Amino acid sequence: MEKLLGSLITELRRGTLTLAVLSQLRTPQYGYSLVQLLEESSVTIEQSTLYPLLRRLEKQELVESSWDTTESRPRKYYVLSEYGVEILEQLKAEWEKSTKELQKLLKGDVGNATD
Amino acid sequence: MQLIDIYIQEVTRRLPEKSRGDIALELRSTIEDILPENYSEKEVKEVLKNLGNPASLASEYSEQPMHLIGPRYFDMYTTLLKIVTPIVAILTFFVFIVENIITYGGEEDIVSGSINVIILILGHGTWSIISAVIQTFFWITLVFAILERTDTSKEKSPLTPGWTEWTPDDLKSLPLISKEKKISTLDIFGSLLWIAIFIGVYFNASHLIGIYEKVQGKIQLIIPTFNQEVLQSFWLIIIVALIIEIAFVFYKLIARQWTSKLAIMNTVRNIVSTIVFIVIISTDQLINDEFYMYIEDLLNLSFELKNSVIIISIVLWLFIGILDIVQGFRKGKTKL
Repeated sequence: MEKLLGSLITELRRGTLTLAVLSQLRTPQYGYSLVQLLEESSVTIEQSTLYPLLRRLEKQELVESSWDTTESRPRKYYVLSEYGVEILEQLKAEWEKSTKELQKLLKGDVGNATD
Repeated sequence: MQLIDIYIQEVTRRLPEKSRGDIALELRSTIEDILPENYSEKEVKEVLKNLGNPASLASEYSEQPMHLIGPRYFDMYTTLLKIVTPIVAILTFFVFIVENIITYGGEEDIVSGSINVIILILGHGTWSIISAVIQTFFWITLVFAILERTDTSKEKSPLTPGWTEWTPDDLKSLPLISKEKKISTLDIFGSLLWIAIFIGVYFNASHLIGIYEKVQGKIQLIIPTFNQEVLQSFWLIIIVALIIEIAFVFYKLIARQWTSKLAIMNTVRNIVSTIVFIVIISTDQLINDEFYMYIEDLLNLSFELKNSVIIISIVLWLFIGILDIVQGFRKGKTKL
């Protein structure tokens, strides 16, 4: 029961991760700063998922990366590309639309239950 | 800190050469970001624990699939295995029978001879079938594993037998199989077993079929029924007839159900085998005269057995053949 619920929640969140990460990349971020940003908004993401995800987004040309070697340790910064901004806007619209739809459904669910 | 180096090595060694350097650098800077100044081993362990098993982190990075055969090819893979494996097993069995049983020298004593044949089939025969099946499994798996890794399309849906995307039109090329028309696997294996037994017996008839009597405590063949030289002289048409029989069985295996076309092929098959049978049975000297004489003496017959045996055999063969043809058409014509 506990296990099933856990895996269902993970599944539910997985799709939203890309959106969460993209939304924080309007300004350049490196791996750990992104983790902190997300945690501030209490979005938890496995680090082992986040870093590979960033690389995938780069490969899909949604984000661009650059190495900053001016500081004590080199850091790889990621920032949205133009294409990434475009996709983010569309994803956001889609997310808002589907949450509204789902909310309606869930309300209906409560309504049915009390009938 | 050595633990970090080893961790990074464990992740990158699973990745393609060209992305290793960049990922290693990024991982190291990330790990050091998380760690405080002057960190202890305990703190390193905590961070690495959060990053998780290097194998699963590497699999997240990797674009290569972490499975041998994925959902796109799996259905086609299993379908192909189910078709090819029994065919390979059957062919191996036949080659084995042809190689070993036909060349079987014939023991003086039928009992020990039969036991030797059974041991040969159970032992070597089973072994050669198993190794052929393993080979088939290996090569088909290898081909699909390579396909899985070289397919650049991002499609995930299973492929159809035509290697294209599925459309409802694909359904038109499939038959709807009814229970009455269905050809069972038992039927197929029965036919093949019968052919195998026939080959074994035909080419060893003078060692196997005849009058047996107990001589000096041993059961021995004293008068063989058939003249092996006459049987052997028909080898060419027997082989042709057998090839037709085997081809028909394989066609049944693929068709999976009776159709009018299959019924017609069944008729042709029966006509061929009947002609072959009549030609062989009516040959002079096919059945040894000693055998007839022995039977005539035994039963105290006053007439010649020879002609009646030939006529009865032909009538019986025709009767069974016609029954089989009619049944084929009856099954082929059944409406859904």
